[in-house]
Amino acid sequence: MIIQALAFYLFAAVTVLSGAMVITARNPVHSVLFLVLAFFSAAGLFLLIGAEFVAMILVIVYVGAVAVLFLFVVMMLDIDFAELRTGLLRYAPIGALVGIVLLIELVVALVSWKGASEATANLAVPTPPASTTQNAVAIGELIYTHYAYLFQAAGLVLLVAMIGAIALTLRQRPGVRRQKIANQNAVQPADVAEVRKVASRGGI
Amino acid sequence: MAEFLTGYAWPTILIVLEILAIIVPLLVGVAYLTYAERRVLGAIHLRIGPNVVGPWGLLQPLADGLKLATKEPIIPSGSSKVIFLMAPMLTFLLALVAWAVIPFNKGWVLANVNVGVLYLFAISSLGVYGIIMAGWASNSKYAFLGGLRSAAQMVSYEVSIGLVIITVLLCVGSMNLSDIVEAQRKVWFCLPLLPMFVVFFISALAETNRPPFDLPEGESELVGGFNVEYSSMPFALFFLGEYANMILMSGMTSILFLGGWLPPADIAPLNWIPGVVWFALKIAFVLFLFLWVRGTLPRYRYDQLMRLGWKIFLPFSLIWVILTAGFLVAFDLLPNA
Amino acid sequence: MTALPDFAPAIPEIVLAVASLALLLVGAFKGDGSTRLVSWLGTAALAVVLVLVWANTGDKALTFGGMFIADRFASFAKCLILIASGITLVISQDYLKLERMDRPEYAVLVLLATLGMLMLVSANDLMSLYLGLELMSLSLYVVAAFRRDAVKSSEAGLKYFVLGALGSGLYLYGASLVYGFTGTTSFTQIATTVGNGPSIGLIAGLVFVMASLAFKVSAVPFHMWTPDVYEGAPTSVTAFFAVAPKIAALCLMVRVLVGPFGPLVDQWQQVVVFISLASMILGSFAAVVQKNIKRLLAYSSIGHVGFALVGLASGTEEGVRGVLAYLAIYLFMNLGTFACVLAMKAGGRMVEDIKDLSGLSRTNPLMALCLAAFMFSMAGVPPLAGFFGKLYVFMAAVHAGLYALSIIGVLASVVAAYYYLRVVKIMYFDEPAEAFDRGQSGVIRFVMAASAVIIAIVIPLALQPMTHAAQAAAATLFLG
Repeated sequence: MIIQALAFYLFAAVTVLSGAMVITARNPVHSVLFLVLAFFSAAGLFLLIGAEFVAMILVIVYVGAVAVLFLFVVMMLDIDFAELRTGLLRYAPIGALVGIVLLIELVVALVSWKGASEATANLAVPTPPASTTQNAVAIGELIYTHYAYLFQAAGLVLLVAMIGAIALTLRQRPGVRRQKIANQNAVQPADVAEVRKVASRGGI
Repeated sequence: MAEFLTGYAWPTILIVLEILAIIVPLLVGVAYLTYAERRVLGAIHLRIGPNVVGPWGLLQPLADGLKLATKEPIIPSGSSKVIFLMAPMLTFLLALVAWAVIPFNKGWVLANVNVGVLYLFAISSLGVYGIIMAGWASNSKYAFLGGLRSAAQMVSYEVSIGLVIITVLLCVGSMNLSDIVEAQRKVWFCLPLLPMFVVFFISALAETNRPPFDLPEGESELVGGFNVEYSSMPFALFFLGEYANMILMSGMTSILFLGGWLPPADIAPLNWIPGVVWFALKIAFVLFLFLWVRGTLPRYRYDQLMRLGWKIFLPFSLIWVILTAGFLVAFDLLPNA
Repeated sequence: MTALPDFAPAIPEIVLAVASLALLLVGAFKGDGSTRLVSWLGTAALAVVLVLVWANTGDKALTFGGMFIADRFASFAKCLILIASGITLVISQDYLKLERMDRPEYAVLVLLATLGMLMLVSANDLMSLYLGLELMSLSLYVVAAFRRDAVKSSEAGLKYFVLGALGSGLYLYGASLVYGFTGTTSFTQIATTVGNGPSIGLIAGLVFVMASLAFKVSAVPFHMWTPDVYEGAPTSVTAFFAVAPKIAALCLMVRVLVGPFGPLVDQWQQVVVFISLASMILGSFAAVVQKNIKRLLAYSSIGHVGFALVGLASGTEEGVRGVLAYLAIYLFMNLGTFACVLAMKAGGRMVEDIKDLSGLSRTNPLMALCLAAFMFSMAGVPPLAGFFGKLYVFMAAVHAGLYALSIIGVLASVVAAYYYLRVVKIMYFDEPAEAFDRGQSGVIRFVMAASAVIIAIVIPLALQPMTHAAQAAAATLFLG
């Protein structure tokens, strides 16, 4: 138990610290790397509560794919953070005001928080007990059986995003020669080369 | 005190010993893989290869290691030092930690986790960080280009690797690697899933940046790619990491498709040989394929590489996932249904 | 094997989804030359779905684990949405060609946006609501920026995207508070849980949800994006924006507020009253100074949303009936008006200033007559359809005791009448400007004339069946 507690505090501390570093690091590439670290320790936290499937998926999807593309873009962009921050002071009061109002609202809502009496019962419905089901099975059951409709709808949303990205950015340039592999493979030696006997001093 | 000993100290010592028992043979394997590569390539090229240092050149890898270790590590002045040094360590570390879940024989596994396949997949998808960090931190355009190429390449091929793994999982019904091997008692998956086996092997070549997909380090265009600025031990770590990854991918191939530690048939002379030997033989076989490909195929062009990954492998493996799932459902063959 | 869900209530949506995927394939394989084909096929698909919705109308049916609901209310809204999408698709074809944005993705995106709207009005769960909303909004962002070589169009798309994302964020924040309070996302269960009495957290969640829905219907104070987006987006897209998504989002607002949050009517009524008042007033006053017809219509639509919300503010069955009737009338008025705007083509390019309409009565009497009919109807001049729409919502408000709201609303509509009539005056009494190009497509002229006939003759004569249908639709929400 002690080891688990230690591991929890380690992962939690690393998550929070690297989260803070993401927004304070001067170099955007460092920010992304700290983001990766944050994802990674969050996966560790998932492992500790026995959600090994979610932990692995978090690493594979977020660390292995999403963050790599992030890093890819950030490395190639020439972001001048100093310039981005110039407006910060000017807008800080308004931002702070909105933030404070939201915070107060949250505190008020939290202080007077009174869940409905049925809430706990409602919350427990979709979750099978951890002891009886493997968590990959439980997630599969939820996503593909109970929430199949939402799963399909989310698929459509992603499809729209893809269509949008292509429709808005893809430009067919005229006059570009493209490689047609089938044509290349179909070429016979006789079509492109000719064996000629060249007489000495004769030339072709 | 006694409780501390039995509760914590003894298990820790045991685990450390187990880890050493995996890592030491692995590193020896890496060393002799480089030797084997040079000998095999030599044979393919009709030359001899290293044969001077020690009997038949067997000490050559040690000489190489000694040479690298004694050279001066150079850190370029414009580089981002921490990341520059972290990158090779990360690569090497990831190549080692993946072995924690590999079963060498029935029950011979350091951590028999439920989601072993996902763990392996996660670790191999992290491998790209070592390269991309090295490329960026070197502050050199060749290294950077190599890093970018590698990132794009690995992310692209991971997609089809993932789909191949899903196909295998459909046939097994478990993500535990030992279960996957046990499920191949009747027939190795490389036969019923032959197309997926081919896709997996080719994607493994791309994932490990091996020829014909070694564009990240294409020396003719990038003077060596992401690791141009590295020398001495950091370079050696990259080198070790790359070869350890090759062995790892071969191990994965054997577990997913070639029946892991199982003998080809469960009959008398074959099942006398211990499983770990079979496993090693299969890894060696896949490694030989890696080297053979390197010796015989020219390097891909980058757009061809991307085309192969996204336009051919991705739809192809997706269709195979659906076909396999449909087949299993139609003939009621789903495991643990 | 687990049993499959009951697909029957969702057949129209499934057909539409499959049709849009098929059209995407057609477009992808046949290239840009297939735009016209894809558009017509898309319209045909919408027509088929309309028939399916019509045939499927019946008593309440839940499916997909209670996340999807099909009832008369949804059917009524879906019919309006499908008509709006189908007609905008038809009238935009020539425009797309003229502005060189004739790519098959346009029709596919319109279809997918329509699918999102259908899912939206059939949502019976906070999660299915969100996904429908995102499917709709994401497609709309893309079509807003569809004329990608025009700065204004890209700007419109970006603005809409940023503010829309903010709106979605508000929704998620509110929905999570509601979930935290009730422990469920299902509307049915929320309704039973909420009945036991409100708490501050729940009300905060409700307010956030309402704010995001107000974003989507562009009600004041969340209207800022509307004029810019309407002006910047390609006109055919603006025509689409002004009708179908508005109808979907308003119907959704009605369903959410009357359904799961029905017991909290005292809490949300004041918010709706405020939004409605502010929209009516701003829509009326700000439109007065507009010179661009698309901006004018943007403010006009803000005003119309305000009027429609008057019906919702009453919180009664009669009010909901009023909202539905208002939306049905709004649909034809606006489609007709936008058909006219799409016909404003002079010297081979589109014009959009109000003064370009000068003396239209002499150069193109038919169009002038139709546009005048729409303007009178929007102003609420009897006996045109627009008058009856306003009549229903204000009657509901009066019956619910919202006298101040009704009086201010009527005053606002008087102000609004000023700028609608100004357009008529420009068309009929000003010196003719450059005449519009001849040879408008037959489709646009047909839509123009048909809408004019519908709002001037058909609806006033056939009020009874329309209100009857609206009544039946509204009643399903109050059955409990």
